[in-house]
Amino acid sequence: MIKKLRTAVFFALLGVVFLGGRSLSAQTEKADVEALKKTAPKVFIDCGLCDIDYIRTEIIFVNYVRDRKEAQIHILITTLRTGGGGREYTLSFIGQNEFAGIDDVQKYYSNKTDTEDEVRQGLVTTLKMGLMAYVAKTPIASLISIDYAEEEKAKAVVDKWKSWVFSLSGHGYFSGEKSYHSESLYGSYSANRVTPDIKIGLSVSSGYERNHYTYEDQTIDSRSNKMSFNGLVVKSLNDHWSVGAFLSLESSTFRNIEFSLNPAPAIEYDLFPYSQSTRRQLRFLYKMGFKSVHYKEETIFDKKSENLWRESLSVTLEVKEKWGAVSTSLEGSHYFHDFSKYNLSLFNVISLQLFKGINIFAFGGGSRIHDQLFLAKGEASLEEVLLRRKQLATTFNYFFSVGLSYTFGSIYTNVVNPRFGSTGGGGFEISIGD
Amino acid sequence: MEKRILGMKFKSIIRSTSVLIVSSILLTPRAFSQAEQKEMGDIKKDVLKVYIEGERFGINFPEKEITFINCVKDRSEAQVYVLITSQKTTEEDNYTLSFSGQKDHEGNSHVLKYTSKKTDSEETVKAELVRILKMGLMRYVARTPVAGRIRIGLRDKVKPTDVVDKWNFWVFSLSADSFFQGEQTYSSQEIFGSFTANRVTPNWKIRTSLSMMYYKSTFSYEGSEIVSTSDSQRFQGLVVKSIDDHWSVGAYFSAYSSKYENIRTSFSPSPAIEYDIFPYSQSTKRQLRFLYRLGFSLVRYREETIYNRTHENLWREALEVTLELKQKWGTVNTSLEGSHYFHDSSKNRLELSGEISIRLFQGLSFNIHGSGSKIHDQLSLPKEGASLEEVLLQRRELATTYNYFFSVGLSYTFGSIRSNVVNPRFGTGGSSISMRMGM
Repeated sequence: MIKKLRTAVFFALLGVVFLGGRSLSAQTEKADVEALKKTAPKVFIDCGLCDIDYIRTEIIFVNYVRDRKEAQIHILITTLRTGGGGREYTLSFIGQNEFAGIDDVQKYYSNKTDTEDEVRQGLVTTLKMGLMAYVAKTPIASLISIDYAEEEKAKAVVDKWKSWVFSLSGHGYFSGEKSYHSESLYGSYSANRVTPDIKIGLSVSSGYERNHYTYEDQTIDSRSNKMSFNGLVVKSLNDHWSVGAFLSLESSTFRNIEFSLNPAPAIEYDLFPYSQSTRRQLRFLYKMGFKSVHYKEETIFDKKSENLWRESLSVTLEVKEKWGAVSTSLEGSHYFHDFSKYNLSLFNVISLQLFKGINIFAFGGGSRIHDQLFLAKGEASLEEVLLRRKQLATTFNYFFSVGLSYTFGSIYTNVVNPRFGSTGGGGFEISIGD
Repeated sequence: MEKRILGMKFKSIIRSTSVLIVSSILLTPRAFSQAEQKEMGDIKKDVLKVYIEGERFGINFPEKEITFINCVKDRSEAQVYVLITSQKTTEEDNYTLSFSGQKDHEGNSHVLKYTSKKTDSEETVKAELVRILKMGLMRYVARTPVAGRIRIGLRDKVKPTDVVDKWNFWVFSLSADSFFQGEQTYSSQEIFGSFTANRVTPNWKIRTSLSMMYYKSTFSYEGSEIVSTSDSQRFQGLVVKSIDDHWSVGAYFSAYSSKYENIRTSFSPSPAIEYDIFPYSQSTKRQLRFLYRLGFSLVRYREETIYNRTHENLWREALEVTLELKQKWGTVNTSLEGSHYFHDSSKNRLELSGEISIRLFQGLSFNIHGSGSKIHDQLSLPKEGASLEEVLLQRRELATTYNYFFSVGLSYTFGSIRSNVVNPRFGTGGSSISMRMGM
């Protein structure tokens, strides 16, 4: 350790010479701190939702690097929704290089009504505690202080609501200028109960959207609305199997549906135990559904209403490891009255950090569509086509995105400099959340 | 069904802000974990039980030094067993602290080491051992209900630049991104590329970026094809020098070309100065910044403008006030900016934008975000009007004296809101991907 310290001091002096401008006559004590900081653990924080600047300013006893391969500790932070509507943060500490083999997992829970500041404080406290085991192995440990803040006892919490959580929310979005304005309104009410044994989710929602254009003295007005009820009940059988049922009621101008009722019992098997699902899952979900539907306008198959039976199978793979994340889902379904009315969809997200400095991101999906039973006979107008207000006949659709970035230069990202604002010069950002 | 939502969302958002959101994608399930529902009742009962074997060093009952644990006398009762051993050489003593998790911490074990010099006093050695002991216990304490009361800090101030960095804080990045979608009667392509070189230290901030963007959408309508394209190229640079904890000076430079704005080329350097009422060191918690810019631009238009210009030289000044707060009760980000041209002061613009998200009381949250502008400075509008599809797809800047958008949301939640149970079965109702391309 003494030897390590000596090397550190040597580098510190070297650094002082290199960085210049700093007085060589700096107090020896100060030089000590600087030397210690240089040997502090190198950390890579892998978290899309975290306030990284706040973490950097609050936790100063480690060095932050921008590439996972450079790090001694890779902290992978994954989140899942909790029954109470908050988030469960799983902090996986993965030791690398000098700390290879020293791993740890910590959890932090936020509540739905916590503000951003409360969440980031809680997360920082958990991060600091998890980091101690690594920091203790480096010389900067000698400057760490750990205190306990005595507070009055927390009151016992008795859950009189039996795990039920109710939520009421409304949202409005308005925009406009001289020749254009739009409004959209959205409201929902949900009731959920989540326990390890049973999961119940019920929600009613309603949405309305309107766009208004003025073009060469004529006005174009376009509206769409939808209403739906969605229900789900799932019973856990064991760590791999679950059974349940979906129920949905819908009305939508986009899909030419006046009213539809659709109950569907289902069964699911996860190849990995559900207890590992924050990091990996491979789920097979089979649904058998009945649908009673009334259309707004007569369909291209000359129907005003019909009763349909349908089955579907979906396979979902999700893996989140330190080298990146993969999420793939394949779903196939068909109607029983006519097997040629089927739909096959694939959805895929891959993000990889395999080599130093290189990030690869791809997501995409595609469908073979042969089950648009609801298409209205009439033609859509030009604005309905351009604004995509009505679903149009198609036998396929696809979307995909590919991104590649290569970063080199300084590996450290310790500095937070808020001057002239911290927003960059635009660019391309992708984030995945829930 | 999922795809429909997808298509619609994509479209409606691309149109206005070039932000794409894919929601309810089968991205699915997230996962699980049976959170131990610990009762917050008797805190002392929930404190970590530790058995320390370190009599020789006088620290088997360090309850006075370590107040967040409960030292037990029986090893089998403990959740963590700590064995302290030492090895003496002529120059130094090497201590080994082995932490073994027991009961609910079973399998969670690690080892820490500490080396003391022969010249160190007994008190120094004991204090250091207690420190290492505390640090080693943290990973266990973090799993107990008292975790939230632990305060960990560095007893000294340290600069973020105290690292050995051969690149001297320069970071370079090259990236290329693309997005494609389509169906029988509609397809769209977007391509984006950029190169950035940045250097951020507490004294200097240098950001430069070169980027390119291209959009194309194709619609089939009644046997004919409607093709709409848009592109832009941009170079942006910013250099800021810190003066003290409240003042900074710097300069912006931009060069760009944009079909949307009818601009073939524009070059504009603008020196600027900023004052923050709060010290910059508190910036993650609060900022109130005043930024003044004096800009010159050299512009060439694609088509003749409504003011009969094909090119011109312009001077402009702008003042921006930004308030950012992130506190226990919520978050506020607002900014007000006013600017005008010198050749004609009636060519001006005033813009207010912001987002506020507040917890009014337990369970009730309110959020609003939006912006509004008074616009009297559209010098680049072309004489020739836009076509119907350019209007509907928002491919061209149109004459206006104002624009606004805002979104208001209110949500009230009650019931078992403290429940930490996670149940990943049948998925968690989908997640979302959002994608943003901007310049």
